[in-house]
Amino acid sequence: MSDINHAVAIMDQVPSADAEVRGESPLHHVGLAAIASQTLPQAAGVIFRELGLLGHLTLRVSADNAALIKTAQTVLGAPLPLSPLSSVQQGDLVIRWISPDEWLMTLPNTQVFELESQFREKMDGHYSLVNGSGGLTVFALRGARVVDMLKKSIPVDLHDTEFPVGKVVSTVFAKTGAVVRRTGETEFELVVRRSFADYIWLWIQSASQEYGLAVEH
Amino acid sequence: MSQKNRLPSGGRINRSKPLSFAYNGKHFQGFEGDTLASAMLANGIDVVGRSFKYSRPRGIVAAGAEEPNAIMQLGATEATQIPNVRATQQELYEGLVSGAVNGWPSVDTDVMGLVGKVGGTMMPPGFYYKTFMFPQSMWGTYEKFIRKAAGLGRSSLEHDPDTYEKVNQFCDVLVVGAGPAGLAAALTAARAGARVILADEQSEFGGSLLSSKETLDGEPAAAWVKNTVVELTSYRDVLLLPRATVNGYHDHNFLTIHERCTDHIADSAPLGQARQRLHRVRAKWVVLATGAHERPLVFGNNDVPGSMLASAVSTYINRYGVVPGSELVVMTTNDGGYQAAFDWLAAGRKVVAIVDTRQNPQGECVAKAVGLGLRVITGAAVIEVFGTKRVSGVAVAPISDDGSRVTGAVSRLSADTVASSGGWSPVVHLAGHTGSRPIWREDILGFVPGETVEKRLTAGAINGEYTTAGAIAQGIDAGRKALAELGKKPIDVNVPATVHVELDSPMALFHVPHTKRTAQAPKQFVDLQNDVTAAGIELACREGYESIEHVKRYTALGFGTDQGKLGNINGMAITANALGKSIPETGTTIFRPNYTPVTFGAIVGRDRGELFDPKRYTAMHAWHVEHGAKFEDVGQWKRPWYFPKPGESMQQALDRECLATRTSVGILDASTLGKIDIQGKDAREFLGRVYTNAWAKLAVGKCRYGLMCGEDGMVFDDGVTSCLGENHFIMTTTTGGAARVYEWLELYHQTEWPELEVYFNTVTDHWSTMTISGPNSRKLLAELTDADVSAENFGYMDWREMKVAGVPARVFRISFTGELSFEINVQANFGLHVWEKLFEQGAKYDLTPYGTETMHILRAEKGFIIAGQDTDGSVHPYDLGMGWAVAQQKPFSFIGKRGMAREDCVREDRKQLVGLKTSDPSVVLPEGAQGVFDPGAPIPMPMVGHITSSYWSANLGRSIAMGLVKGGLSRMGEKVYYPLADGRVIEAEICSPVFLDPKGERQNV
Repeated sequence: MSDINHAVAIMDQVPSADAEVRGESPLHHVGLAAIASQTLPQAAGVIFRELGLLGHLTLRVSADNAALIKTAQTVLGAPLPLSPLSSVQQGDLVIRWISPDEWLMTLPNTQVFELESQFREKMDGHYSLVNGSGGLTVFALRGARVVDMLKKSIPVDLHDTEFPVGKVVSTVFAKTGAVVRRTGETEFELVVRRSFADYIWLWIQSASQEYGLAVEH
Repeated sequence: MSQKNRLPSGGRINRSKPLSFAYNGKHFQGFEGDTLASAMLANGIDVVGRSFKYSRPRGIVAAGAEEPNAIMQLGATEATQIPNVRATQQELYEGLVSGAVNGWPSVDTDVMGLVGKVGGTMMPPGFYYKTFMFPQSMWGTYEKFIRKAAGLGRSSLEHDPDTYEKVNQFCDVLVVGAGPAGLAAALTAARAGARVILADEQSEFGGSLLSSKETLDGEPAAAWVKNTVVELTSYRDVLLLPRATVNGYHDHNFLTIHERCTDHIADSAPLGQARQRLHRVRAKWVVLATGAHERPLVFGNNDVPGSMLASAVSTYINRYGVVPGSELVVMTTNDGGYQAAFDWLAAGRKVVAIVDTRQNPQGECVAKAVGLGLRVITGAAVIEVFGTKRVSGVAVAPISDDGSRVTGAVSRLSADTVASSGGWSPVVHLAGHTGSRPIWREDILGFVPGETVEKRLTAGAINGEYTTAGAIAQGIDAGRKALAELGKKPIDVNVPATVHVELDSPMALFHVPHTKRTAQAPKQFVDLQNDVTAAGIELACREGYESIEHVKRYTALGFGTDQGKLGNINGMAITANALGKSIPETGTTIFRPNYTPVTFGAIVGRDRGELFDPKRYTAMHAWHVEHGAKFEDVGQWKRPWYFPKPGESMQQALDRECLATRTSVGILDASTLGKIDIQGKDAREFLGRVYTNAWAKLAVGKCRYGLMCGEDGMVFDDGVTSCLGENHFIMTTTTGGAARVYEWLELYHQTEWPELEVYFNTVTDHWSTMTISGPNSRKLLAELTDADVSAENFGYMDWREMKVAGVPARVFRISFTGELSFEINVQANFGLHVWEKLFEQGAKYDLTPYGTETMHILRAEKGFIIAGQDTDGSVHPYDLGMGWAVAQQKPFSFIGKRGMAREDCVREDRKQLVGLKTSDPSVVLPEGAQGVFDPGAPIPMPMVGHITSSYWSANLGRSIAMGLVKGGLSRMGEKVYYPLADGRVIEAEICSPVFLDPKGERQNV
């Protein structure tokens, strides 16, 4: 537990392993494991997987603040994607450009506190780092018809010349929003908010109907 | 029934695949490749509907989207009903069930027909407006009758079983229309590697070439079409959309395409397939190759079934192998009309005469007609048609050079079909959707697209280029221009060789004269769908309408689904003539989306049922469902409203929940409250500027309630903000206000105070928030944590970090119930775990879950406001009696400070929030009830404010209410009366809104 009198309070929010606390991702109630056992990825145009219980950190810092950016990159051990709509992936760490002074990072939830602590120790100046792990989840989508399904869902040009692997957009997804990143020629991932996860899951099921949907777990 | 008009061979139909269909309850047969219209004509069906106003029998006129009469109701079952489908656009499928939308009780014997006979006086132009105005009270009656009689079709009363998709598309070049020009443009763009979408409303690409006998490079035109389509199909970035109508051209090259994916297969889509798609296209460049519609001629009784467009006659013969009659008279103002006679003759039926309105036509077609032994009558016109449900003959008379009058004796010819051609009207509808006005071209006697700010090109007949070779050349040119703009290098596309036909110039004739004046002559229809006649337009002009837009609205010319496809140019020309102006001076009306009707299904897509609007859930939602919660919508959130036990009424459940919380401990899922993480060295300063109260001295570990006002000084949100670190706060907002507050903070930061070093992040979804409230809440919490939660170490309005049920948590000792209360926040992934542990541990205290309704009652017992319920944007903190939450002495101003100091805001008798106790404690005032000081005052009584919150309080054994009352804060103990709609007048006494524990001892233990 951290010292409450810090300028910014951080807390290791993940229960220790011996506490026997089960974590539940936003789609926990769906029972994806059971669905996965009944679907065939080979026959599906869209294959869905929830990457739940990841750590999500939002970094806000001015891109013009070279010193802080440099320190942040040192702490992260990875470059911050500074060009708009780009991303960096390094091992378990993915950094997504969100806006000129905002990045969304995902990493194992158990590593979040350590990273936060590193930031608080090394970074001196105006920035914020916020843990949003409970409020976000990741949907990984792949398959030959993923682009077709996404065309029904987001108003963004998905042609590979316009939306190459690694590109990130924060956009409207149906009637909510998502951070969309292309992870492969026919692979995408969505970062969605917890409370909207069920809606997007229902939407993906419906929009994938004509292509066949499989679930992986 | 046999297909009496079907030719033994020819056409693009498959005679080995007969299809049966029903029309108005009778069964017929057509072939694969037919449209419903061609199949109807093949079967000799003459009457396909009754007209809108006069209820006259109507037949098929055209072969495409411009068809004004053959508008069908489709669907074999209730669930699959679709209205307003043009028979000319509907492909035939096995088992198709159709009926005329007009015609009540049937198209053949129509009671409205009698009305129609006298309709000239009963329903003059402007009928709707005149009726609506004199007398207005009768409109409802007229409307019922008119709507039923006009038969505008009907939608299904049942759930539509089909799936409809909306798809976002992007391309370099969107080509609209796949005739010769469109195909050439698409091919040119595609060869150079552009991303191309080619959309055409027809089932097959080819446009005019599908019904043409022309040769291209010595081959039938269809071969060139086929080769072109095959090549286009080979390109990865080309999307070919047949059966897809580009319906709307919106600003910034945003176009919508309505694709009918399975409407040609059955009346419900095969399992797993979408029935229709609405493509929302963002195109860098648009090539309009929409072609032209033939213009019918306006003459007496020109609406009698059997009166058709000349080109439509050719299309039915050449494309569908159907000759829609036996004896043909052609009337034409141009060489193009002759083709119908040639095709008719070739089909082995009788051509009675070609009536050419020109005095001395000299083109090759004329010579060919003469050579074929056809009777060509020049300098004459068909001035009137005989017959009712089918043409039985025509009256032909010589006309003057300029076509303005009849110059000689009238003779009668026998005929069952009149094909007329008044020339061609470029299809400029889409070009006009973005506000571009079409331009009149005297040389082609038609409007062509005007200038545009859009990145738009045009090619082919839309430009008045009516030869195939010319259209292809323009298509290639448009493709190359688009490529140049896109910075792509074109690859050559050849214009195929065609046979040149020498043409004579056409004659401008928009209104065929009659021996009688227009008003006395048989009806000369301009707009068949809306029953607008030449006489009606002239009347409108005589009545003083001078603008074409006004004439349109007064007469209904080009209204509705028709959008003036056949009638507009003739109507404008007749208007121009009546006004003594030229056509360019008169101008056109504005065309609007949609070009042809789009189904609601396609517009709605999958935004229906479960997906109509997102439903937001907390991490504990499944538990709430399992435990029988009733839900309330708060914003998009599904919040538990109350948790009834079996057999309990709502009030019984609320009473139990309220009592349990005040006597032991209750629990609320408060996860939906907005939560905003605020960091930065100026966070505290920022808070002081957006909240009305002071934040400078709030210590780390402390929480404070704040009111947020707009610039006008009116409260718009409230909540508790806690100091997590010297430069770190967490703000809570109302559930419904979260997004608005977050935007508000960003707005002020980005536009007014960018110098403040502060960042905001929404963490609403990140934290699961559960509030335990009641005298046993501390005991319960203590049992689940190692932390010291005693009153001495964990005071009221403090927060502490601790583990609860093994999960790291921030616990806030704040209270919205007035009880000892702890708000436990854990990362939402562990929310349900903690929630369940609380219930395991809390069983011995009868831990009682409660929802929003009990929360409302408990807070009202304490007089705590709910922003948005007790406030409505017209209430400032002093009106709420919350001046204690306003720090006027802060060094920097705060939002709303000046607003709430305005003259009107410091009046004595403003509506102020007070408590209200009904004199009869068992009566619960209805929320929204308006109060008066004098119940005996004459109506309208001076109203003094309304009830904002009102409940039965089980804890107090009486009703309680809060409400706004004029000058209420200085009227304690006075009476207010609430006259209700049911006649009761409820008396209440003004009191403090704090009904329970005024000293706040219960929350402070």
